[in-house]
Amino acid sequence: MNPLIFTTILMTVLLGTMIVMMSSHWLMIWIGFEMNLLAIIPILMKKYNPRTMEASTKYFLTQATASMLLMMAIIINLMHSGQWTITKVFNPTASIIMTSALAMKLGLTPFHFWVPEVTQGISLTSGLILLTWQKLAPMSILYQISPSINLNILLTMAVLSILVGGWGGLNQTQLRKIMAYSSIAHMGWMTAVLVYNPTLTMLNMLIYIMMTLTMFMLFIHSSSTTMLSLSHTWNKTPLTTTLILITLLSMGGLPPLSGFMPKWMIIQELTKNSSIILPTLMAIMALLNLYFYMRLTYSTSLTMFPSTNNMKMKWQFETKRITLLPPLIVMSSLLLPLTPMLSILD
Amino acid sequence: MLKIIIPTIMLMPLTWLSKKNMIWINTTTYSLLISLISLSLLNQPSNNSLNFSLMFFSDPLSAPLLVLTTWLLPLMLMASQHHLSKEPLIRKKLYITMLTMLQTFLIMTFTATELISFYILFEATLVPTLIIITRWGNQTERLNAGLYFLFYTLMGSLPLLVALISIQNLTGSLNFLLIQYWNQALPDSWSNIFLWLACMMAFMVKMPLYGLHLWLPKAHVEAPIAGSMVLAAILLKLGGYGMLRITTMLNPQTSFMAYPFLMLSLWGMIMTSSICLRQTDLKSLIAYSSVSHMALVIVAVLIQTPWSYMGATALMIAHGLTSSMLFCLANSNYERTHSRTMILARGLQTLLPLMAAWWLLASLTNLALPPSINLIGELFVVMSSFSWSNITIILMGANITITALYSLYMLITTQRGKYTHHVNSIKPSFTRENALMALHMTPLLLLSLNPKIILGFTY
Repeated sequence: MNPLIFTTILMTVLLGTMIVMMSSHWLMIWIGFEMNLLAIIPILMKKYNPRTMEASTKYFLTQATASMLLMMAIIINLMHSGQWTITKVFNPTASIIMTSALAMKLGLTPFHFWVPEVTQGISLTSGLILLTWQKLAPMSILYQISPSINLNILLTMAVLSILVGGWGGLNQTQLRKIMAYSSIAHMGWMTAVLVYNPTLTMLNMLIYIMMTLTMFMLFIHSSSTTMLSLSHTWNKTPLTTTLILITLLSMGGLPPLSGFMPKWMIIQELTKNSSIILPTLMAIMALLNLYFYMRLTYSTSLTMFPSTNNMKMKWQFETKRITLLPPLIVMSSLLLPLTPMLSILD
Repeated sequence: MLKIIIPTIMLMPLTWLSKKNMIWINTTTYSLLISLISLSLLNQPSNNSLNFSLMFFSDPLSAPLLVLTTWLLPLMLMASQHHLSKEPLIRKKLYITMLTMLQTFLIMTFTATELISFYILFEATLVPTLIIITRWGNQTERLNAGLYFLFYTLMGSLPLLVALISIQNLTGSLNFLLIQYWNQALPDSWSNIFLWLACMMAFMVKMPLYGLHLWLPKAHVEAPIAGSMVLAAILLKLGGYGMLRITTMLNPQTSFMAYPFLMLSLWGMIMTSSICLRQTDLKSLIAYSSVSHMALVIVAVLIQTPWSYMGATALMIAHGLTSSMLFCLANSNYERTHSRTMILARGLQTLLPLMAAWWLLASLTNLALPPSINLIGELFVVMSSFSWSNITIILMGANITITALYSLYMLITTQRGKYTHHVNSIKPSFTRENALMALHMTPLLLLSLNPKIILGFTY
């Protein structure tokens, strides 16, 4: 794509999200979402083939439906409260419709079906933008309306998302689908604590974005989209295998890595609010996620996976430039001692 | 406590910056020096703990375990030299780094005051152990072994996290020193029963309790020698240590909640000892023997009498040294014949007489011969369980007999009789191996002169 056009489109995506996050008028928020959606379609279709077209169409249809549902919720809110400013949504009907719309945008169960298929159909970099940047806008709206969200619906969606994210990823070998199911599960964790302490949602979002960025950067570096091609990295850059190991264990939520911090804080917040069975259930279901991350580490870093003889003499093409990988790695693995500071940031 | 932790952390830059011919010398020497520092902690002036800071403390229970941990690192390094000799330098350094990281987490776990900090470090010990087992183990089954190890432990310990946080809500603080004085009886309710279960299951899986012990033979057999040593000697004791700490907060539910686990342990120790009599795999025999000894510790901890606590602590230290020594002996066989089958390497006394002396001493301490500290531990546990209920003497007596049976079976099969014709060309024992066995045996024998230091806080 022409670099100038690409930059313009990327800036529109950024602008759309910024408009969503910074507006106080509901209509502007809807406009921001639409701007974001329309501008990201060309980015999803960077490579022009039928699979990307299908993925972009699926994404467009689900997100447009969600935007329309959002518009309906805004109008109902306008009817009942008579104003367009963003505050808590007083009318329960509007609140439920808005929560469903935002859940559709985020990919929470039962609206999660588009996430694996769309992520699989697009290139790695577009998948990165889809799974990290696109989550920011809906999450910021959820943060702002958090006092009025119906707790039952949100917790049901959260727990089901963790279940689906865990079980769905178990039979996958395609890395992008694995990252998609991981995203569904993490979104579940984030929304579970939204009503109790929205700061922790933001903390989880921050740590999740760092870890997903790191994983995608490592995948882009080795140009691998399947578990099989990832298992060849020990031939090319053995250090990458160690980095993949650390980041995957962090995503699985193992202490002492920083991926444990959001889970610990969320469990603490939920327990303080006297729900005990729920965090236990969520924590145990996160082990399903850990299982397929472990399978990935087994084929990549902890064994020297069998490869053909000529893998060892592979031509070294020019190495892809990975932006900011060392700080990302450090932040996605070593942040646990900073927990007191990070859990009170607003 | 930082005087032990910071040097241990600094062992990592030491490994990475050492030259190729100095790497083993440097790490072994400095880890021996660190273990000398930790010996000063054994001087516990009163029953109250030595409080070093808000975050670290040491009391008569954790000090012997800490000394055991620091003593084992140089031994693990010495034991790993042979099987790592053919690996490239970076992989050797990675292995030593994993061992050092594990050591740091273990030291911090045994001295943590805040129970959540204990939990995080308890979980953190899983990661280096997992990497050691799956990366440097020798057979394909190691992958499965790593998964079983990780998931059994995590399933047990996630409810512990929730339980610890809810206890913090109830009592306001999880600092162990404070809780000792604030302790109130837990009211009797269903949710407190689940709280008891949530707190104890993590340590039951780690000990391991008989019904949840499936990960242990897999992990011990598939791990390389340093992995087996640290698993048997220290990681199992983490479970015992955790149980000893957390049962102070869990009265009075323990009086009736402990029954199922007591039954499982009493039956399980006989079952696992009997399985040892039919094992063909040497490492598997030692692994099941570990389950059997740890079942005694579980019985002792759940009975909650002063003598049983003394027995539990002594048994933990004694079993740590004995089991680690048995794994080193099994490894010396493995390095020569590359097989763990017992009958493939018989009659070694004719070929390696000094090693046979170490085999004899290890087997004798395993079957708890007087006056070793193994006997002191077992005897205290047997006596206190007899006072708890008279019938247990039958099971305990049967266990002691079967332990003697399989220890002697192991000794006689590997050492006595005519040697097999294909082992008459094995390499003689290295000085390193003899030093390793001596360093295991000497503390064990010397402790029988003054067992007071390992009898824990109820002495």
